[in-house]
Amino acid sequence: MKMHTGLALLLTLIVLFPQLAGAAGQPVTACIQCHSTLPEKFSSPVKLWQTSIHAEHSIGCNACHGGDPMDPAQSMNPARGFRGVPDSLTTPTLCGGCHMGIAKHYMNSAHGRALGNGGPTCVSCHGSHDIKRASLALISKKYCSSCHTFEKARLIRSAMSRRDTMLMAIEKKIKLLKIQGVETDPLEKRLFALRNRFHAMFHSLDIKLIIMESDHIQAELEKNNGAGGAGTGPLTGVMAIGWALVAALLFYLIKKNVE
Amino acid sequence: MLDILKQIYYWLDVRLGTHGLINEQRTGYLLPRNINVWYSLGSVLLVIFTLQVITGLLLMLYYVPDADEAFASVSFIMNEIPLGRLVRLFHAVGSSMMITVLLLHMLSVLFMGSYKSPREIHWLTGFILFLLSMGISLTGYLLPWNQLSYWATTIATDCANSVPVIGSYLVELLRGGKQVGYQTLGRFYTLHVGLLPLIITILIGSHLFLVKRTGVSTPPFGLEDTSNKWKSDACVHEEHPDGIPFFPNFLLQDLISISLYLACFMGLVFFMPNLFIPSTSYLPANPLVTPAHIKPEWFFLANYQTLKLFPSEIIGLTVQAVAISFLALLPFIDRGSEKHPLKRPQFTFFAVAGILLWISLTAWGHYS
Repeated sequence: MKMHTGLALLLTLIVLFPQLAGAAGQPVTACIQCHSTLPEKFSSPVKLWQTSIHAEHSIGCNACHGGDPMDPAQSMNPARGFRGVPDSLTTPTLCGGCHMGIAKHYMNSAHGRALGNGGPTCVSCHGSHDIKRASLALISKKYCSSCHTFEKARLIRSAMSRRDTMLMAIEKKIKLLKIQGVETDPLEKRLFALRNRFHAMFHSLDIKLIIMESDHIQAELEKNNGAGGAGTGPLTGVMAIGWALVAALLFYLIKKNVE
Repeated sequence: MLDILKQIYYWLDVRLGTHGLINEQRTGYLLPRNINVWYSLGSVLLVIFTLQVITGLLLMLYYVPDADEAFASVSFIMNEIPLGRLVRLFHAVGSSMMITVLLLHMLSVLFMGSYKSPREIHWLTGFILFLLSMGISLTGYLLPWNQLSYWATTIATDCANSVPVIGSYLVELLRGGKQVGYQTLGRFYTLHVGLLPLIITILIGSHLFLVKRTGVSTPPFGLEDTSNKWKSDACVHEEHPDGIPFFPNFLLQDLISISLYLACFMGLVFFMPNLFIPSTSYLPANPLVTPAHIKPEWFFLANYQTLKLFPSEIIGLTVQAVAISFLALLPFIDRGSEKHPLKRPQFTFFAVAGILLWISLTAWGHYS
């Protein structure tokens, strides 16, 4: 009872003084508050989670473990959906609840087909609490060679790295256009969808579609590069400045003549 | 065609005496023979104001003064309307340039002592014009309804809260509610496109009338002054018998200055448009997300920093009110007749110190 009162008090304080909470944007839940105060074995997942992509997007513990994060007393009650540590066989299905496209690709891949026979699950590469963003860095000797040789993975990685670099370049360009007032919303949405598809493709290893799609968006970006900028190009600018300076010179000469 | 024009000219001349009026302006309007380039800044300002009105009217064709539509309409103007980006940049950069040239104009008047008797009212109308220009820039700043403008307006209007007793009512009056919202946008829009331009136009007319009525002041340096001086016992139009005609001589100087100004202006619009428009200006306003660094426009940075320097906002506001009142009433305080800056070292020292203080506060506000 005392512990529950303490937790309730702690939550109240956090609501009143949000600066007591963790990093900006991360959800403050009963799970985090309680586990943070427990011994290392139980508190280390909190620290790991705080560095994860899930924390960055405010995906809390209950997304994977279930339970009620807002009710300290009932947070770990199975009646409230608490499921504890997910079984490794059900992990892909659990993650696939949100990452639907990826789950489909994974299940059709060699990794997915080996599920239950020593094949890797999502957490094998992405981690269970310090969940890492899908990136080329995950296709590394460190992860891949723990099960098989890195040779095939290296080929896949090098084939995909060019497109990944291109996606980053496109993102940079979109950001640049955005701060110049160019309407980039449609491009951003398409890039977001493309990046999701690209990351999903990691799991199926079919990169043909990605190459085709990224070529399309690159072409559209080039087309949009001058969007709304009609009449504000450097050549027009040089001409406008030139005309103004010529006019100044002309008026100066007339003035000298008049004097 | 020429005959028709001649007939129209004759028709007008018979009724309005236009021939005499034009001749009087061409040959009778003489300026001090030592007049310098600084005197043409007034004409540059007229051109800037006219450009602001024209571009503002063009923007009004597509701008929607509604909190849900404003940002999208500005984005539409910049991205979809032919030459829309150019018109918007002309207007946004033009507002900063207007303040810059106004400051230069006022500095030249200060250092050449042109504010002195009998031109106190000229200075006063000019000073009010300066304050109104800052006001019209502030109200226009909110209209694109972006993150920066929303939060800068929230902070700016919040300053009124520090006024004792009526502070909260003032804030509500400015915002039209407790928070900056669609009511604030409506109020600022009305001020920006209606009331303020009207008052500014009337004051510009008054300012020009006063300059014309009293005569252009003589610079304190250059060629010897030949004007008939005001003796403070009767109204005298200060004439310059050996002066230079306004038309064509000084009009050409005006045109040179205007052309040079336009060259600088185009340089900024085409090559450095974001000098006065930070990147947060392109994010839509979000009342739930406060940006990390909210800064007002550059010409409010000194005021912003002054407010932060004092332990309470009311002291900061009082200090600024005193400084503004002192500047506005300067011609009534500084009664000496000497106009040359080097022959009135005390004034020059304090003026330079004031400018350096303003620049330092502005830089401090920018980097803080």
